[in-house]
Amino acid sequence: MATTISESNKLTFTGYFRNIYEAFYTCGKGMWITFKYVWAHKPVTIEYPEVKEVLPEKARMRLFNDAENCISCTQCALSCPVDCIYIASKPRPKGEEVPKTTNGSPIRQILTQYTIDTALCCYCGLCTTVCPTECLTHSHDYEYSQYSLSGMKVDYLNDDVRAWRERIVKE
Amino acid sequence: MSNTKTIEIGGTPSEKLKTDLLTINMGPQHPATHGVLRIEIKTDSEIVSEAIPHLGYLHRCMEKHCEKVDYRGVIPFTDRLDYLASMSMEWGYSMAVEKMLNIEVPKRAEYIRCIIAELQRIASHLIAFGTYAIDLGAFSPFLYAFEMREKVLRFFEELSGARLLYNYIWIGGVWNDIDDKQLKRIGKFCDEMEEEVKKYNELVSFNKIFVERTANVGVLSIEDAYQYGASGPVLRGSGVKWDLRANRPYSLYSELDFDVHVGEGERGVVGDCWNRYFVRMKEVVESVKIIRQLLDGIEDGPVMGKVPKVIKPPKGEIYIRTECPRGELGYHLISDGKKTPYRLKVKSPCFTHTSMLPLLGEGQLIADFVATIGSIDIVLGEVDR
Repeated sequence: MATTISESNKLTFTGYFRNIYEAFYTCGKGMWITFKYVWAHKPVTIEYPEVKEVLPEKARMRLFNDAENCISCTQCALSCPVDCIYIASKPRPKGEEVPKTTNGSPIRQILTQYTIDTALCCYCGLCTTVCPTECLTHSHDYEYSQYSLSGMKVDYLNDDVRAWRERIVKE
Repeated sequence: MSNTKTIEIGGTPSEKLKTDLLTINMGPQHPATHGVLRIEIKTDSEIVSEAIPHLGYLHRCMEKHCEKVDYRGVIPFTDRLDYLASMSMEWGYSMAVEKMLNIEVPKRAEYIRCIIAELQRIASHLIAFGTYAIDLGAFSPFLYAFEMREKVLRFFEELSGARLLYNYIWIGGVWNDIDDKQLKRIGKFCDEMEEEVKKYNELVSFNKIFVERTANVGVLSIEDAYQYGASGPVLRGSGVKWDLRANRPYSLYSELDFDVHVGEGERGVVGDCWNRYFVRMKEVVESVKIIRQLLDGIEDGPVMGKVPKVIKPPKGEIYIRTECPRGELGYHLISDGKKTPYRLKVKSPCFTHTSMLPLLGEGQLIADFVATIGSIDIVLGEVDR
């Protein structure tokens, strides 16, 4: 059984007053340290809604897919550990001109669905590292709370999402 | 076991006074249980006569999930084990897969990993220090600790992109390279941290009230520590000089010069809460020493070794253990030659420490029991997995 009070620490008359002295002395020392914070310390709190922190370059916030550059290779969906990326595509009809991405790879498939469930996403960044055309990136946008869970599903072919592009894509 | 305790007053059986043990629940939403741990306490007035920890409130089927995803995809799950020391968790798993695949990690990546792991140890011990002070009724040390921890987190955020769940240490190396500016900042942080620890010691460690609350409380003897399989600061607090970094060196630790601190019983007896707590403060200083050596020795080069595109370790199994901030973390990985692990078993230090609560709690005051839980510093993400 674990003991709580050791027998050797019997309280003596001088010990009683020494304890009181030590308590006052050590507490005073601590109070002096905290008192120094009154003037000799810069405030570190960021007052969030008014002041926003500048995020580091590599910050991994909400995912963004630049659907024009997507070649529907499904690498991202395969590497995702929580399976939160839903991709569908159909083959391009024969004879039609094959468009190219900005880095020159041909887009052979037509992307019909690209949805990410941001509520399920664990922001690990594995999908962005496998993307061959680098169209899937982590943006710096972190203010996207929703009223319902279904609102967290983002369809990147939607025009509304295209409209945010200006705001959330990293330069 | 009966809940009823009979105290005999007077002579005849009819005059016997019956008293019941009162069962109360501490947790799962109790701030002193450091997460979602429920402890069923049977109290005799204010004395804990029995404490039974109930686990499973944070169980996320991590081990089973890992059997479904590929070897790279396991790393985000290992992050979520001990969410206060994610880098150390990733490191152990990466080492296990690298050993299976015989991948050689570049020297620079090893240096970065060591620096990161020691910074993580500092950040984790700062939380332990801060929350322990809160448990015992001191609020401001918590804010001081978080201010310093924030610097580490900011650094990790710049390096990996996330503040808590990094996915930074990969199989074969690390994700991004560190630049010289960041290394300089770590050096500066080390200087600051040394000063801060002195401040914390004056503020909390040697404060008479704090010492009275923690010294001679929750004493764990060496025999019990061995019997229960304690590790990390809890084992060292009981006076056992055992640290995997020194005794079974992995990575670069064999080249580094550092001490293993044990509880010496400066206040109270060896193995009490104060000693367990103070071992952590000494370890912070030791980590600073290790980081300084690593900063001096860091070499240029690649940060990622040669890793096959699809990771398929050969058939077999491996057990790797590393020294995490909370103790000895083990990964038992079994591969059947496929893309996904056959089995991944995690040996968590916090789980073994939680199992010591009935032993430590018996006969304590409830307030002392809170001090005991705080001193073993458990993270429930790791206990339940």
